[in-house]
Amino acid sequence: MKKIYTVEPDLINEIRKYGEFDLKGCYNCGSCTLMCPLTSLNDSFPRRLMLLVKFGLKEELQKSIEPWLCHYCGDCSDACPRDANPGESMMTLRRFLSSFYDFTGISKKLYTSLTARILANITVAFITFLLIISYHFFTVKLKPSEFFPTPMGLEHMFNLIIPFTVTVYLIPIFLMIINSIRMFFSIKKDYPPIPLKHYLSGLNELIKNAFFQTQMLKCTKNPRWLKHFFLFSGFTAISIIVLFFLPWFQTENIYPITHPQRWIGYIITIFLLYGSAEAIWGRLRKKEPIHEYSQPDDWILPVMIFLTALTGIFVHIFRYLNIPILSHYSYFLHIVIVVPLLIVEIPFGKLSHAIYRPIAIYLSKVKEKALIEVTKES
Amino acid sequence: MKAENKVGSVLILGGGIGGMQAALDLANSGIKVYLLEKGPSIGGVMSQLDKTFPTNDCAMCTISPRLVEVGSHKDIEIITLGEIEEIKGEKGNFEVKIKKYPRYVDEDKCTGCSECVRVCPYTKIDINDASKSVKPIPDEYNMGLKSRGAIYIPYPQAVPLKAVIDPEHCFYILDKKCGICQKKCPSGAIDFNQKERTINLKVGAIILSPGFTPYDPSEKIDLGYKKYRNVITSIEYERILSPSGPFKGEIIRPSDHKVPRKIAFIQCVGSREINYDLCSSVCCMYATKEAIITKEHLGEDVECDIFYMDVRAFGKGYEDYYNRAKEKGVKYIRSRIPKIKEEKKNGNLVIEYIDENGQIREKEYDLVVLSVGIRPPEKIDILSNRLGITLNEFKFCKTELINPISTGKEGIYAAGTFTEPKDIPDTVVQASAAAGEAMSILSEVKGTMTEEKEYPGEKDVSKEEPRIGVFVCHCGTNIASVVNVEEVVEYAKTLKNVVYAENFLYSCSTDSQEKIKERIKEHNLNRVVVAACTPRTHEPLFQNTLKEAGLNPYLFEMTNIREHVSWVHPDDPDKATEKAKDLVRMAVSKARLLEPLENRKLKIKKSALVIGGGISGMSAALTIADQGYDVYLIEKDKELGGNLKKLHYLLDGTDPQDYLKEIIKKVKNHEKIKVYLNSEVVDVDGSIGNFKTKIRTENGEEAIEHGIAIIATGAKEYKPKEYFYGEKENVCTQMELEKFIVEENLFNKNKIENVVMIQCVGSRNEERPYCSKICCSHAIKNALKIKEISPDTNVFILYRDIRTYGYREKYYTEARQKGVIFIRYTEDRRPEVAVENSRVKSVKVFNPDLNMELQIPSDLLVLSAAIIPDIEENEKISKLFKVPLTQDKFFLEAHMKLRPVDFATDGVFLAGLAHYPKETGESIVQSKAAAARASVILSKDYLELDAKISFVVDENCDGCAYCVDICPYDALVLLEYIWKDSIKKTVENNESICKGCGTCMATCPKKGIYVKGFKLEQIEAQIEAVLTGG
Repeated sequence: MKKIYTVEPDLINEIRKYGEFDLKGCYNCGSCTLMCPLTSLNDSFPRRLMLLVKFGLKEELQKSIEPWLCHYCGDCSDACPRDANPGESMMTLRRFLSSFYDFTGISKKLYTSLTARILANITVAFITFLLIISYHFFTVKLKPSEFFPTPMGLEHMFNLIIPFTVTVYLIPIFLMIINSIRMFFSIKKDYPPIPLKHYLSGLNELIKNAFFQTQMLKCTKNPRWLKHFFLFSGFTAISIIVLFFLPWFQTENIYPITHPQRWIGYIITIFLLYGSAEAIWGRLRKKEPIHEYSQPDDWILPVMIFLTALTGIFVHIFRYLNIPILSHYSYFLHIVIVVPLLIVEIPFGKLSHAIYRPIAIYLSKVKEKALIEVTKES
Repeated sequence: MKAENKVGSVLILGGGIGGMQAALDLANSGIKVYLLEKGPSIGGVMSQLDKTFPTNDCAMCTISPRLVEVGSHKDIEIITLGEIEEIKGEKGNFEVKIKKYPRYVDEDKCTGCSECVRVCPYTKIDINDASKSVKPIPDEYNMGLKSRGAIYIPYPQAVPLKAVIDPEHCFYILDKKCGICQKKCPSGAIDFNQKERTINLKVGAIILSPGFTPYDPSEKIDLGYKKYRNVITSIEYERILSPSGPFKGEIIRPSDHKVPRKIAFIQCVGSREINYDLCSSVCCMYATKEAIITKEHLGEDVECDIFYMDVRAFGKGYEDYYNRAKEKGVKYIRSRIPKIKEEKKNGNLVIEYIDENGQIREKEYDLVVLSVGIRPPEKIDILSNRLGITLNEFKFCKTELINPISTGKEGIYAAGTFTEPKDIPDTVVQASAAAGEAMSILSEVKGTMTEEKEYPGEKDVSKEEPRIGVFVCHCGTNIASVVNVEEVVEYAKTLKNVVYAENFLYSCSTDSQEKIKERIKEHNLNRVVVAACTPRTHEPLFQNTLKEAGLNPYLFEMTNIREHVSWVHPDDPDKATEKAKDLVRMAVSKARLLEPLENRKLKIKKSALVIGGGISGMSAALTIADQGYDVYLIEKDKELGGNLKKLHYLLDGTDPQDYLKEIIKKVKNHEKIKVYLNSEVVDVDGSIGNFKTKIRTENGEEAIEHGIAIIATGAKEYKPKEYFYGEKENVCTQMELEKFIVEENLFNKNKIENVVMIQCVGSRNEERPYCSKICCSHAIKNALKIKEISPDTNVFILYRDIRTYGYREKYYTEARQKGVIFIRYTEDRRPEVAVENSRVKSVKVFNPDLNMELQIPSDLLVLSAAIIPDIEENEKISKLFKVPLTQDKFFLEAHMKLRPVDFATDGVFLAGLAHYPKETGESIVQSKAAAARASVILSKDYLELDAKISFVVDENCDGCAYCVDICPYDALVLLEYIWKDSIKKTVENNESICKGCGTCMATCPKKGIYVKGFKLEQIEAQIEAVLTGG
């Protein structure tokens, strides 16, 4: 017997807690779906999702992967004859889905309340601040009067900073693994049985997108891919360095400019500064559709990345200028900003898309391969 | 205003179908008309169309009789190339200043021969020729698909058929160079010295029908208009389909002139968008028409795909037309198309769309037609300023839902697309209604400004031998280029009884008429034969000339050697000349036997019978009574008001009850209206001008004599047999819902969480294939009301197409914005209702967009029930008045497009729901139109009957009655009388109904009946003439 879906007209009010979902008189014309450069034949969007929300089909919505296939180029919103802004609605759905996947329930809290998000970041920053203070107080045994004026060298911290860094990264990694598994099984629920070989052959798609966001190349409004790749590669590179090569990177030695520690560092800094500054500037000017409905929520991430990169480069600059105390303070700020960025914003914020998107694209590809084979046989 | 200050004339702005209809209605009722047209000729957009829906009539064929009638009407003055500069004054007495631009051609001298056009250097430049230094001039009439000369005739059937010079391109006007046209003009009609001038007019009322501009889709760059050669607009396609168009009716595409085999029609281009939230009302239908016509031209295997959002086939006959299109293989695909791509190598176009299953597909087409919307006429801002009328948010003339022809200024009325996009029948209705309003306010001064023609007495030629004069026409080069006219004239002189023959360059010109009159006197002619163009347009002209010369106008015979000879045999001039001679011989042989005929005059009763006391009947009654005629209003119910009594709020929120009460009061207090409640019509006798109707009232039977009748018997809401209506307590219709909301405060007294409305209940199905037009708006009206009084209640509307046409679209938008949820379903999978005990619990519906079966909890189920005719009542009226019904048992008008309030039976008119489902305002306008058309008849003291009607030869008739049954107009009755002690059977004809079609004559085996002017002897003579050459 064919499944019957009960309509829940209140769903749209719930969705609207996560952001703009105006619909403003959408009449299902399909222009958005037809203009989308990324919509796939089997998983078409955004129209279908607008209907799911409008008709209140919550379960179907929770199983959907289309919001992750979207890279918010805004072509759909440009095409919409009713200015219903499907592009921004997709963004809202991503927040909704992230909250659904997150078993802790924290994402939901932070996405539906800006105050909660700011408080969460401030809390983690404050805890970090306390940890640093206690380190200076209890481990290094500095007297309070010595706190501020005493610059610390870097080597002394490595026995603590390395495990600290690893722990800070492991928390979001752990959370994301669990949430990804939840996402995987939620989406797969409606899939027909698919042979393993498709899952395996589709893995290269997963890798391509996870590391090179190849899907984004199909967007019409380039150089979006480039700007995004700056941010992504910068962030990934510095994460790898910080996790595995910290002592090599974070050193008191001043190498010549040709040394990789220098130019890799500079490139990463430029990528991160440019990418995040560009994002902030765009939101200020509100020119592109992607920025028109930008909520304060969206500012937090690029601002934090920007400040992280900025404080990072200042550590380096002050070391160069031989002002160890300022280098020290820069480092302190750097830690206080980057820890909430990792612990709050990855699992409970926008950075989660870095995991969810590639998984969605992967599953979409797997389903596509399976369907192609089914049609070939029949 | 005092009657003596009123002016008995009306200014009509716009010479399209609306303007022409109003002009004819007014001029035929004694009001002088100034028809002001900004272009060089009248005709409007309808003249550019190929065919019209839903009848597939050729637009030009249906409009040209109007063009000719307007052009030759003695009381209509056409002012072309004119604009209103200033208006002063008030209703009854306006002073209008008109600026008339120079035509540079003397309209009195120009005969429309087109010689000037032929020699103009611009004419020869092909539109695609970019090589010359002189650029081609895009022809506006052909939407730029063809070029035209700097001097040109707008289109072949233009009225007035005069050339016009475009001062922005003419070399002489710009630089004093060229001037060839002036040299070559055989009538010396070119006058480069013409200047702009001002015309000052005094008129009693003004009617505005300036039409519309089609939307220019150039700004939608994704659609590729003007970028890709094979993306064209619908009106450009009309020109391509037209035999008078750029490709002479051959359907070929612009880029390579290939015949397209796959054509896509894109709907809603420039309509239903955030910046322009209205529906242009006609595009779904015209695209359907264009697809059907394309298939008829090119064969059934041509693919025509129409991409739509909702198919708005809401008018009378429209749903049927839509179904026929589907049967013919036109495909309707529900997907709005935002982008078109071009295949550079062959100019084909690629369209991506979403199919029924939600899959994205791609298809290649040879040609794409954009169904562009209707936008206000050009320069409407300037016009509205000068007229002092307000425009609405869409820049159309602001008007009221309940009075759609008002402009807010008294004495100034609007008709047609000037106020809102609409189709031709609605335009024609509004035009007649506007004319009716003008008639009402100017009733005291009717006939004060019209011409009364005086003719000399008719000569008695009965004792004379026939003396025939033959006039053969060159028609410029139209005839003379093929037929040797002089030879035909010489031949004519050899025929018996022909005492004079002559040829003219243009027989229709004014000076030719003078010559004909002179010849009649000089040579004592008593019969006239003209061999020229078509009698359809020119017979009245020559008949008038005979009258002016003192001859009976029926001593005239016209033969067509243009359409029947030169135009169809241009390649064989010798044989053509012979054929022309044959035709002349035939005409002469008939002319010998022509007899004078008389237009009988029928005195008419200046009173009206209106059947139906609803808003339609009452509006019609008031319009007629305000002009001073007696009205008898018959209502079968115990009170006036009809269905409108049950409506408490209209779509725009206004309460119609005050208006209704006011109208009822006016009707009851009007000294010219006699109201009969609880009364019915039981018998009807007579015909136009002289009806004798018997009615049964509460006091017994009464006989009423009246000149015309208006049928406004209304319709009713269907009581559904579906969806548990009447069986479960929480199911009702939309009208009942309105009652529950207003009278029983349903939503405030109860907590109703979910309301589900189902559209198309009882409509658009096997039993009733038509669309009830207003239910979509009605449902949305109630949905908005519910959201207003109970915002937390969920409202679901299950629909097949949402038909919120015109301005109603914005209420659809408002409903969606307020959270009303619209769920589409298809005809083959209707919603299913689940019940529990005595209530409906939920509704199950399959939504094709999501491909899912949805279930909606339902506390209240509202059915948008059809509007159905009272079949028994309509059949009774139909028999009594001899008026036909449609298949759906509504009344059938004379012509769906151009005569929407008339019946084929003269003297009977139609208005309101009895005609077809419609809104209150639309009923009111149609009633005013019916009343106006009726007033045209009532305004005359007598009716002039056509002379060429049947005549019974009593001696020959034996009463076999074959002719009685066969008469399509029911004009014959079988009689018996006593004669010489035996019963004589015979047939009697009703002269006021008979149209002279001749069916009776063809049927009669006894020569007992014939049509005057077409007696058997006359026809026999013609046949003999052509077969024997004698």
